[in-house]
Amino acid sequence: MSTKYPTYLLDRAKIEGAHTLAVAQKHGAWEALRKILKDGIGFAQVIQLVKDSGLRGRGGAGFPTGMKWSFMPDPVKDPRPRYVAINADESEPGTCKDRVIMELDPHGFLEGALIAAYAMRAQVVYVYVRGEYRLPYKRVADAVAEARKAGLIGKNILGSDFSCEVYMHQGAGAYICGEETGLMESLEGKRGHPRPKPPFPAMFGLWGQPTTVNNVETVFNAPFIVLRGAEWFKSMGTKGSTGNLLVGVSGHVNKPGVYELPFGVSCREILEDVCGGMWKHKQLKSFFPGGSSTGVLPASLIDTPMEHDAIKNTGSMLGTAAMIVMDEDTCMVRAHEIVARFYEHESCGQCSQCREGTQWLHQIFQRIEHGHGRLEDIDMLVTLSKGMAPGKTICALSDAAAIPTLAVIKHFRGEFEEHVKLARCPFLPAGTQRPVFAGAH
Amino acid sequence: MTKIILNGREVDVDPKQPLIHACHAHGADVPMYCYHPGLTPVGSCRICQVEVKQGEAPARVVVACRTPVAEGMIVETEAPRAHETRRECLEFLLKNHPLDCPICDKAGECDLQDYAFAEGQGEGRSNEPRRKLDKRKSLGEVIVLDEERCILCSRCVRFMEEIPKTPQLTIADLGSRSTISTFMDQPLRGNYQGNLADVCPVGALTLKQFRFQARVWNLKKSLSTCGECSRGCAISVEVLRNKDVKRFRPRYDPAVNQWWMCDSGRFSSARHNAEERLAPAARRGAQGLEICSVDEALAQAADTLRARANAVCIGSPFLTLEEAKAFAALCGTLGAKPAFVSPPATALKDELLNTGDPCPNRRGLLELGFEALEPAEAFARLAAAAVGVLAGERVIELQGRGELAALEGPRLICFDTHGLEGAGADVCVGIPEQVEKSGSWVNLDGHVGKLTIARAAPAGVEPLTRTLASLASLLATSGVAR
Repeated sequence: MSTKYPTYLLDRAKIEGAHTLAVAQKHGAWEALRKILKDGIGFAQVIQLVKDSGLRGRGGAGFPTGMKWSFMPDPVKDPRPRYVAINADESEPGTCKDRVIMELDPHGFLEGALIAAYAMRAQVVYVYVRGEYRLPYKRVADAVAEARKAGLIGKNILGSDFSCEVYMHQGAGAYICGEETGLMESLEGKRGHPRPKPPFPAMFGLWGQPTTVNNVETVFNAPFIVLRGAEWFKSMGTKGSTGNLLVGVSGHVNKPGVYELPFGVSCREILEDVCGGMWKHKQLKSFFPGGSSTGVLPASLIDTPMEHDAIKNTGSMLGTAAMIVMDEDTCMVRAHEIVARFYEHESCGQCSQCREGTQWLHQIFQRIEHGHGRLEDIDMLVTLSKGMAPGKTICALSDAAAIPTLAVIKHFRGEFEEHVKLARCPFLPAGTQRPVFAGAH
Repeated sequence: MTKIILNGREVDVDPKQPLIHACHAHGADVPMYCYHPGLTPVGSCRICQVEVKQGEAPARVVVACRTPVAEGMIVETEAPRAHETRRECLEFLLKNHPLDCPICDKAGECDLQDYAFAEGQGEGRSNEPRRKLDKRKSLGEVIVLDEERCILCSRCVRFMEEIPKTPQLTIADLGSRSTISTFMDQPLRGNYQGNLADVCPVGALTLKQFRFQARVWNLKKSLSTCGECSRGCAISVEVLRNKDVKRFRPRYDPAVNQWWMCDSGRFSSARHNAEERLAPAARRGAQGLEICSVDEALAQAADTLRARANAVCIGSPFLTLEEAKAFAALCGTLGAKPAFVSPPATALKDELLNTGDPCPNRRGLLELGFEALEPAEAFARLAAAAVGVLAGERVIELQGRGELAALEGPRLICFDTHGLEGAGADVCVGIPEQVEKSGSWVNLDGHVGKLTIARAAPAGVEPLTRTLASLASLLATSGVAR
C-alpha cells in the first residue's frame, strides 16, 4: 500500500501479537491514559484537546467528537450515573474497519474508550459488539480481562481516583441496533427500537441516565491525540476533516481491504494507487463512497476527495468511508435491488414510512430488474423515497433506504428505462434470468 | 398555562401535555394512530405531522404527539408541507392494508378509514401483492386479531403494559414482517382485554362477542353507566334497531374510568337481551297469574297491602336514586323501613376499576337511608312477613327465584323485569331495565353516573318511579293496614 502518507492508526496493529497486553504496552498502548492520570490532565482539558483536534465521529454522521462529549451534563449539577457506550455493532454493508481495530489492537481501542469515559466522567463503559464478530469480541473481552488484572480497568486505575468498569455485550444480528438509541434499547434488554429524539442520549440515555455513544474508530483516535497533540492531528487530513481514517474498499478492485489514509485523498487515488485498480482491466462504472446508505456516485466523480464536505457536495455522504466499487458489467438495478432488500430486512418496523416504504422500494426494484417494470415505477421510486426522507421518521434507516434510491435514479435513470423497455435485465443474455431473491419474508 | 399560536389563533394550552393534545383541545383535527391520550406517546406511526415554528429557526414539520408545547410556538396544522407529509404517510399505511372495510367490524368508526376518506387519493399507486397474514388469529376468549389489518401502532402493547399492568402483547419479528403476538401464542388473560378492541385504531383487534354482529352506523348510542360494580364506569350503550344491546363501550370520564372498562362490565350487555319479559303486568286470578294492565295490577296490590299489615319492603341494588326515592316514599306510606339486597363481593376486585361490589348504587341508597341486607337476611325477613314488596331489576333473582317461588306464607308484590311464579306471588309489575330507563347512580366515590333510555321498554311497561308512586297514592287515598 501507499507509504506516502504518515500513518498512526494501524501501526501497532501490524505487529505480531499486538492484541496481547505485553506486546501492546511495549508499543505504546495505555501510554496516553497513564499520561493523563500521572500529569493530572483535567476532564475539561481532554475535551478541549479533542475539540481542538477537530476529530469527527467515524460512525457515519461525522459529528464533532469534542462537542458531543461536552453535551454531557456537569456532574456537580447532575449527579446521576453516566455511561459511555461504544458502538461496535458495525453492520453497514461494505464497512469492516472497526473489526480490524478490535481484532488487532484491542488495547488501543480500550484505552481510547477509557479516555472518553474519563473526559465525560463516566464510570462505566459498555461495548456493544456485533453478534457476528466473534473473534473481535473475544479479542476485546480478553483484553478487558488482561487490562483489569493489570489495574488498567476497574477501581482506582493506576492508583488514581479514576475508576471505570468495562462491560461487553454481544448483539444478536440486527442492523438497527447500530443506531445509537436502538443500541441503548438493546443494551437495556429490549427490542432494538430506536427512540424518538428529543430527549437526547446526553440527558436521557441508557436507563434514562446521561449517555454518550461513540464509534470504535472515534475513541481509538483519542490516545494519539492525547500523546501527540491537536496540532499534530490537524496536520493530517483537510481543514474540515482532520486526521487519518480507515477506508474499507470492497467490490471490483484488485486489492480490497482496510487502508489507513488521511482525509482528502481522492477516490481515484484510493482506487488506482492503494487498491491496485479495477479487477480484470474492467472500466469503473460507479461506487458507493461510504457504505450502502450513501448514494452511489458515477465514475465521472472518481476524483472527489474522500472527506466530509467534498463528498457532501456531490450529493452523497462520506458515511463510514466504505467504498464499494462496481465495474462496467454491474447492473445498477440489480445492485440496488440487493441494497433495498437489505433495508427491508433490517427496518425495525416502528415508523409507517420505513416499514412499508422499504418493502415497497424492494418490490419495485425487483420487478424492474426481473422484467416486470413500468415506466411510471421509476418516478414512483422517487416520490416514495421523498416520502420516506429526510427526517420523517424516528431514526435514519428510512433515509438510508431512500438516499441510495434517489442517487441511483439521478445518475442511472437510463438503465432503469432500458430494463423497462426490454422487459429484462440488459446485463444478461436474452432469454436468461437471474434467480429471484425471495422477499425479506 | 402556556400560550401558543395554533392556526393563527392564540390559545392557552397545558404545558404538561404534548402538542397534539393542544391541537385536539382547540379544535384542530390532527389525525393519530399510535397516539392515545391515555398511553405513553411513542411517535411511531408518524401521521400527526404538523408544521411548527419556534423563534428564528425555520418552520419544521414534526410529529405533534412527541413535541412538547413551548411559549410562543407557532403551529400550523394545515400547512401544505404538513399536509403533504401526512398524505405520504397515509399512502404507506395503506400499502399493505387489506381494504376489506365492507366486511370489517371497525368500518364506520375506523381512524384509518376516516382519514383515508378525508385525505387519501381515490386510487392506490401500489400494484404489489399485499401482505398475506393470518386474518383470524384468536388471542384468547375475548379478542381476535386480523394481522393483515394491523398497522402496528403498538397501542395494544402499551395498553397491556401501562393500564392493567399485565404486559402480554408484543410486536414480534422485524420491519414489514412484524406482527402483534403474545408469548408462544398463549391466550390473553385478565379482565381488561376488551379495551384492546377500543384502543385499536383499525379493525385488527375485534371483540369475538361483537364480530359480524352489526354495522356500527346502525347502532344507536346512548350515554349510560355500567351497573356491574360500584365504580359506575361511564359507558355508551349501543342498540341495534331498538332491540338488541350489541355492546357496551367505555365513555371517557376523567373522574371515574378515563377511557377504560372491565370485561365483566362490558360483556354484561348480553344480559339485557332477554327474550322473555313480563309486560305489562300480572296478577293472581282464578287460573293463577294472569296478564293484566298496570292499573289493574296496582289496584290488586293496593288491596293486598290494605289487607295485611307490616309489609317488608326489599329493593334491588340497581335502583336509581329516583326509583329509590319513590320506593322510600312507598315504604313510608306502608310504615316500613327501606332496604336493598346487597349480594356478597365478587372475586373480580382489582387495582384498576372493578371494586368487587356488585351494587352500583350502594352509596346512593345508603345516603337515602336504605338498609343493606345480605340476600339470606332479606329472604328471611320476607319469609317471616305477611306481605312483601320487592322492587327493582333482578331483585327476585338476587334472593333466589326458586326459594321465593316456594314461599307460601307471605303475599308478594314484585316489580321486576320478570314475573315470579309460585304460590306466594300476588302481583307482578313489569319494569324497564337498566338500558330502558333514565336516572342516576352514585358510585363509591360519590360521583353521579347518569342512565339514559337506550331502548324503549316493552309495550305497556311503565317506569318504576311512576308505578311505585301510583301504588303509594292509591294507598294514601284509601289507607293502609297498620
